[in-house]
Amino acid sequence: MGSRIRLIAVSLAVIGSVAYLILSGVKQTGLHYMTVTELARAQSPPEEGGFRLDGRVAIGTVQYDQKAPQLLFQMTDGKEMIGVVYPGLMPDAFGGGREVVVEGTFDPRARTLHATKLVTKCPSKYEAEGLGKDKT
Amino acid sequence: MSEIGRLSVLLAFLCSCFAVVSIAWGLRTGMAGPLKSGRRAVWMVCGLTLLAIIVLERALIARDFSFRYVAEHTSLDLPPMYAFSSLWAGQEGSLLLWLFVLSAYGAAFLWSYRKRLDPFYDAVAMVVAGVMVFFTSLLTFVSPPFRILATPPADGNGLNPLLQDPGMMIHPPILYTGYVGFIIPFAFGIAVLLMNRTGTRWIEEVRRWTLFCWMFLGFGVLLGARWAYVELGWGGYWGWDPVENASLMPWLVGTAFLHSVMVEQRRGMMKTWNVALIVLTFELSIFGTFLTRSGVLTSVHSFTESNIGPWFLGFILISSTIATALILYRKALLESENRLDAVVSREGSFLFNNVLFLALTFATFLGTTFPVLSEAVTGAKISVSAPFFNRVNVPIALALLLLTGAGPVLSWKRVTASVLKRNFLIPVFVGVLATLVGLPFGLHGVYPIVCVFGAAFVIATIVMEFARGIQARKDVAEARGAMAVVSLVEKNKRRYGGYIVHFGMVMIFVGVLGSSVFQKEAHGPLLPGESLALGPYSLKLRGVENKPVANAQHTRAILDVSRGDKYLGPAYPAKAMYFKSQQPMTEIALRQTPAEDLYLILGGVNEDGSASIQAYINPLVSLIWVGGIVMVLGTLIALADRMRLKREEKLGA
Repeated sequence: MGSRIRLIAVSLAVIGSVAYLILSGVKQTGLHYMTVTELARAQSPPEEGGFRLDGRVAIGTVQYDQKAPQLLFQMTDGKEMIGVVYPGLMPDAFGGGREVVVEGTFDPRARTLHATKLVTKCPSKYEAEGLGKDKT
Repeated sequence: MSEIGRLSVLLAFLCSCFAVVSIAWGLRTGMAGPLKSGRRAVWMVCGLTLLAIIVLERALIARDFSFRYVAEHTSLDLPPMYAFSSLWAGQEGSLLLWLFVLSAYGAAFLWSYRKRLDPFYDAVAMVVAGVMVFFTSLLTFVSPPFRILATPPADGNGLNPLLQDPGMMIHPPILYTGYVGFIIPFAFGIAVLLMNRTGTRWIEEVRRWTLFCWMFLGFGVLLGARWAYVELGWGGYWGWDPVENASLMPWLVGTAFLHSVMVEQRRGMMKTWNVALIVLTFELSIFGTFLTRSGVLTSVHSFTESNIGPWFLGFILISSTIATALILYRKALLESENRLDAVVSREGSFLFNNVLFLALTFATFLGTTFPVLSEAVTGAKISVSAPFFNRVNVPIALALLLLTGAGPVLSWKRVTASVLKRNFLIPVFVGVLATLVGLPFGLHGVYPIVCVFGAAFVIATIVMEFARGIQARKDVAEARGAMAVVSLVEKNKRRYGGYIVHFGMVMIFVGVLGSSVFQKEAHGPLLPGESLALGPYSLKLRGVENKPVANAQHTRAILDVSRGDKYLGPAYPAKAMYFKSQQPMTEIALRQTPAEDLYLILGGVNEDGSASIQAYINPLVSLIWVGGIVMVLGTLIALADRMRLKREEKLGA
């Protein structure tokens, strides 16, 4: 019976430490996942922690300094805009109107997101668009 | 032609429905006739799906744009090999491939057991047919691949440039062979519960099927990482992206199962647990398909968004409910025959192995679905990304690494102090030695140190096990050197194959450590004649040139690469502009050596004629790929072991 108790004790210790890792991980690396409008209209955006925004690149707002490299653009969800600064190379599929996901810290005064990660969603061009109707 | 495709999918649907009903009837009444025709119907599904694939492939290669699928995913300028592989570029084709792999597994299963007249195997076939009903109905009613356009366009939309890569040609079929293959273990598990099957023979059978698809899944995951590395052009190979996680999760649970199943074989313990693991592995592979197809989560790998998400969720819900109900209903069958004697024992180590693998899976699942979960629970959407996964999964993975060394040298039941001393003294010493050697080379931080210690520790235990095996067998010991190792492996393929798999895994750990902790980066704009220094490398820009390649225009920088004083030759990082999509694509330049990779990206060419170059040194990445190949070889050796199956047969279980 002794080994059974020991087994339970060790298992609890393992499960406890994994739970701790997960909870502290969420607390320290969790990102507020918001829409552009939610963040732009927030009276007092959460002060701590990073942000993750989904939206589109506003057409005509992209400024790219390839030498730095630095990428500046406005992100929109059709209602509001948020500026994004990304210190990295422009992803291949990036461009005005494209859907992007950015992660980083938010500067409420400048209404700007300092992105550490920028992912361009694959353009839906490769999906059924403009091919017309099926033959019935 | 399209009618033939549509008709064969519809007939495949009817055949799978018939197979389920007919086998169920046969099992209920004990009549051989319905069982036989049910099995035949499963064969029919396989043939019909193959026919459907041939029809679609013919259209893809001929660029018959009257097929909607062909017009959506190919174009006239697409090289024929990518026209062939665009079968799995879109949803309908991918599902068709899924169904084909599924029915091929069904056929392979029936072929393997064609001489066994045991209704148990018919029950397995019935479960497989049940899953076929789901996929054929999706293809018939929800996502039909053979839609015809009223006005065929002159040219198609073209294939996504990201998918125009040789790795992407083989990655999905291999991954699917892994994913889909878990249907057989799942079907075995359900059939055991349905038929109230006792004995251990089925466990050995399931172990072999699982090993087979587990190997493909692991290899597929690594191919995906390799594709991300050379094609996505961000310098890394793994980003904890939802789609990557989706393929990792069934692999993790499958690995847990492959370990705990040994406890069941040896000691008759953990029976409920094992059936639950089989079910979970299968559900996670369906969940993986759901994640890549549903568009619920954002991913760099997800190329289609569609409406079939709810169907998959529904299928997962129904199948896991049935499985859970059956497990509860057959509780008595799954009663454990033994109790755990000691925590420090082989069984104990397998138990912790399982706890840790499930913890990894759980953390990965939680992290992947966190936005959805947190919104449901607290109302606020919280998302986690790579830092979370690294923080949580790295320590768990390191604990598993240590266990990889400790587990196999612990004896069953209980371990004596002298065994501990004999088996652990030298490996611990080797581990400490490796760490001490690493310190002057910039090894620092808790996790890297644990990783180096663990890697050396595991390798030492493996080497000792081989050495001991050779000594213990006189006939083996008489052979010399490498021959002794070969003949030892031949004696117990399963055991030593397993060690080889462990060795491959250690290589992957070291590769991940090297490339994540010791990566170096440099970037800058270079005018012709200027150089960029990165570690021991010097990259001198010779110039920039434009060059048309097949269906794209390449703009490439010519860099003269030197390491120290030694000139290594030119490298050509490029940007490709695809004519069809007008989308730029980064084509990296990669110089691979066993010690390190030089990874070069062309950011673009500037107005003043300078080229923006980003360069990485990724140490030890090649160990990841080689480790993957070693794992496949080890698994193949373990699969070649038919001894145990024969022994079970003799026992007449």
